[in-house]
Amino acid sequence: MYFLIVTFGFLLAMRGANPALLQKPVEGLKCTWRGAVDFFLTASLTLALWAFAATFEKIQAGVREYTILGPGIVVFLLSRYQKKTDLFFLSVLASVFMINSKQPDLLQGILLAWVVSAGIALFQACFLGLRYKLFFSHVPVPMKGWPILCLLAGFISVVLGSFGTLVF
Amino acid sequence: MKLPESLFSRMLLAYLPFMVYPYGLFKAGVAALWIVAFFWGTVVFFWFTRRLFPGRSLKYAFPLWLIVWAQAVWTLTKLPPYWIASVFFLVPVSFLGDTAKPGHVRVFSRELPRSQYPSIGAERRLGPSKLPFWKRNKKFGRYFFEQVLTGIGFAGFVILLALVREIVGKRLGMQAFEQPAGMLFVAAAVAFLWENQPYRKRSQHLSISENLKLGPSKSPLMKRK
Repeated sequence: MYFLIVTFGFLLAMRGANPALLQKPVEGLKCTWRGAVDFFLTASLTLALWAFAATFEKIQAGVREYTILGPGIVVFLLSRYQKKTDLFFLSVLASVFMINSKQPDLLQGILLAWVVSAGIALFQACFLGLRYKLFFSHVPVPMKGWPILCLLAGFISVVLGSFGTLVF
Repeated sequence: MKLPESLFSRMLLAYLPFMVYPYGLFKAGVAALWIVAFFWGTVVFFWFTRRLFPGRSLKYAFPLWLIVWAQAVWTLTKLPPYWIASVFFLVPVSFLGDTAKPGHVRVFSRELPRSQYPSIGAERRLGPSKLPFWKRNKKFGRYFFEQVLTGIGFAGFVILLALVREIVGKRLGMQAFEQPAGMLFVAAAVAFLWENQPYRKRSQHLSISENLKLGPSKSPLMKRK
């Protein structure tokens, strides 16, 4: 779960948000947390629908077998309905798959979905704040771009890792 | 919508979902080869079948294609579906979009000849090419050369990081390198080396602090027209 939070937190921070929000950190933070709520609701709804489908005996075998295709189509439709990016769809699908494989119980699954979405939002918020601070600091020219972004992500994941040992 | 990416960005972004797999060197190599093969297969498949998809349905077909394959691979090999995110990032930005701008590929400071081939969406918008068959084939070759290069670069990047994870994390016992933090630090080092290749031109834009230091008259950001 910790790997998932760091990976998709970094990806969503880099390619999920509008780059213009970087210059308006307050708006960026609002968007980040709104995105986290959408993430949580989409993942929870998919988990709930899948758990509901599993209660029907006739389709139980199919539900167990198609653990990617079924939730994948649901997540795809939900993200298209919300006009989200393809990255959002892929992140939610990965989270739902991991939660389903680790925690078949619905309530525990929803709790895990909340933890994952909060973790991703926390990562994005820290990343946004640090990137904003970098605007006003003297970053050496050779370090600009991917090197400094990977370093920032690495430092945030060290901090989240210590929280992660308490949560997971 | 995808943003335009350079070769290195595509490799790095495609590696990030791969980081979730807790695989050793051999398994990581096999999974990376599968991703590259699937990526090439996807490009070829959509290239030859693009006329069969009506209107904007290509944009919907691609994610559904990924889900179906993720399910098939999970059923056959139990490979978790994170690899589809890697394929998504490897696929060029103009692949299914309406833009006709080709991506520029830099390898070790040398810019490769740009592929003038329009994207599948742009080709549909512009109408069928009037070029003779042999010239179309040449551009087709250039387009695929870019994708081949991206695939090889991604596989190399994954194997390099898996090797570092294996040696430093497992043999030398440095736990940090078995965590995402360690891998991100290694990726930062690789990015640093890549971005600072000799003879490479860097962006001439100044940071905000440098602009503030220079003041309104000298700052290129505050030039008056």
